[in-house]
Amino acid sequence: MSLSAARPVITVYGEKNEPSGTTCSLPAVYKAPIRPDIVSVIHHEIAKNHRQAYAVNQDSGHQTSAESWGTGRAVARIPRVRGGGTHRSGQGAYGNMCRGGHMFAPTKTWRRWHRKVNVAQKRYAMCSAIAATGVPALVMAKGHRIENIPEVPLVVSDKIQSYNKTKEAVILLRRLKAWSDIEQVYNTKRMRAGKGKMRNRRRVQKLGPLVIYANDQGLTRAFRNIPGVDTICVDNLNLLKLAPGGHVGRFCIWTESAFKKLDALYGTWRKASSEKKNWNLPQPKMAQTDLAKLLKSEEIRKVLRAPNKKIYKAVMKTNPLKNTRAMVQLNPYAVVQKKNAELLAAKRLREKAAVKAKKAGQKPAPQPNVKRAAALAKKGKAKKGKGKK
Amino acid sequence: MPDKKLPSVPETILKRRKRQAEARAQRAKTVVASQRARRVKRAEIFQRAEKYVKAYRKQEQDEIRLKRDAKKNDGYYVPAEPKLAFVMRIRGINQVAPKVRKVLQLFRLRQINNGVFIKLNKATINMLRICEPYITWGTPNLKSVRELIYKRGFVKIDGKRVPITSNDLIENTLGKRGIICVEDLIHEIITVGDNFKYASNFLWPFKLNTPTGGWRKKTNHFVEGGDFGCREDKINNLLRTMV
Repeated sequence: MSLSAARPVITVYGEKNEPSGTTCSLPAVYKAPIRPDIVSVIHHEIAKNHRQAYAVNQDSGHQTSAESWGTGRAVARIPRVRGGGTHRSGQGAYGNMCRGGHMFAPTKTWRRWHRKVNVAQKRYAMCSAIAATGVPALVMAKGHRIENIPEVPLVVSDKIQSYNKTKEAVILLRRLKAWSDIEQVYNTKRMRAGKGKMRNRRRVQKLGPLVIYANDQGLTRAFRNIPGVDTICVDNLNLLKLAPGGHVGRFCIWTESAFKKLDALYGTWRKASSEKKNWNLPQPKMAQTDLAKLLKSEEIRKVLRAPNKKIYKAVMKTNPLKNTRAMVQLNPYAVVQKKNAELLAAKRLREKAAVKAKKAGQKPAPQPNVKRAAALAKKGKAKKGKGKK
Repeated sequence: MPDKKLPSVPETILKRRKRQAEARAQRAKTVVASQRARRVKRAEIFQRAEKYVKAYRKQEQDEIRLKRDAKKNDGYYVPAEPKLAFVMRIRGINQVAPKVRKVLQLFRLRQINNGVFIKLNKATINMLRICEPYITWGTPNLKSVRELIYKRGFVKIDGKRVPITSNDLIENTLGKRGIICVEDLIHEIITVGDNFKYASNFLWPFKLNTPTGGWRKKTNHFVEGGDFGCREDKINNLLRTMV
């Protein structure tokens, strides 16, 4: 069960990628159920919240006093511009089909841009997102180059919180073998495809690691110029940063104190969160999610019925009145019946022949098996005699 | 000092072996038991078939004897009203009056040249009268019944039309009514027994050929030189040409 899920020990790494000697047990958030569906939905809702409104000018297409000419003038009934002396006079106006008219459904600024999301849902998504950063497969699937980092989740000592120089930050990332992720960022720097280019979104690049700290003593300034790297304080974790694009599994680098705060922030199932009001980790729907293990387990196997491996093939129907074997299968007495019918027919033929022979004055043909029958009768009599004695 | 053991067989494989051995033993036992049961059943079917053959012959001879005795004593023998009828639909499905259509549906005669066995009582005789121009019927003899069931016998299992290839099909459905083989089925139909309803309904309506040699005149009653209506025992002649 989730409540008794084993919590392994995570080593904290020093600046030189050596185990610093301190360890930390994995916060319970990492065992929360990973729900990419919830993360995706909540991410998309939250992402709507930093939109800026856009709309067409509310006057567009209406800065005329056009009036329809009505019927009877051999023209379409669209409102037309009054007056004369210019090209514009008599032209159609107002309609979305008219040149210089308003657009269909002019966009308004009071469109509902932002979305309200339930707090519990937001927290659920956060827990899922954090849990997903602890699964190396998911992080690699997201595209981060983490083949050589020492551990997932990657926790570094608090010394990095007081970095001031970008050089130090770069050396750290190199030592931690996280630099290949940054190199990937460099490799993916390109021009955006599409109109975004002329809308101040010219360049695109991949996202790199997310550095999460508890106390900013210069860390943001050290890391901010490294392409792809984001920094965030553990108190204000952001789903848009932890699961960019709605996809879970961002590569995160934690500082020791930030990592230790997670239990207090999100709670363990035993103890509710102390920082968030009325929040404990979400309960998983399945306690055991290893499907292969479940299907092979004794408890499930014992209750299943034996597999139906028998293949029922259709039997070809043969006419029992013609096919003796089919007849015997349905009626075992048929053998006797047929034999009796045969014997009876033979007997009648013999009788007929005998009558004919008598008429013609000849001797009738001898009965078959007469000698045999006589011998058997004798034997039977002898036996009976013996038995009586 | 801990000794290094050789890798033993994993527990799951041992469990599987044990499970399969038990299953094999169980299967062998059930096979033996089922074989014994089948042998006993075969013997029972044999006995029943023998008994029926004797019963049919006896019945036939009894009828003949009663007729002869009555004649000898200057009396009259009135044979019992027939209990069994074989009804066949001889007209197609278009332009049928609603009442007639419903009765034909109730008789399960939904297609031309379909035939069913019907128990004769006041109710069914009146129903036959309603749809008279669409059907021909009569009293089938043993040979007709046998031929129909053996050659054209299909059976309703799970709502499906299944050919009679084995007595198991019959036993599985009608076993609880004492009918375990084809001969039992034939016997139940001929001597309209207590379970005639179930036996007859178990049989899918017979799909017969058009008669070799043709019809006389489908649009007239049999007594007028046509084909529809009751033709009593002449139905057997017709069935010889249609089965």
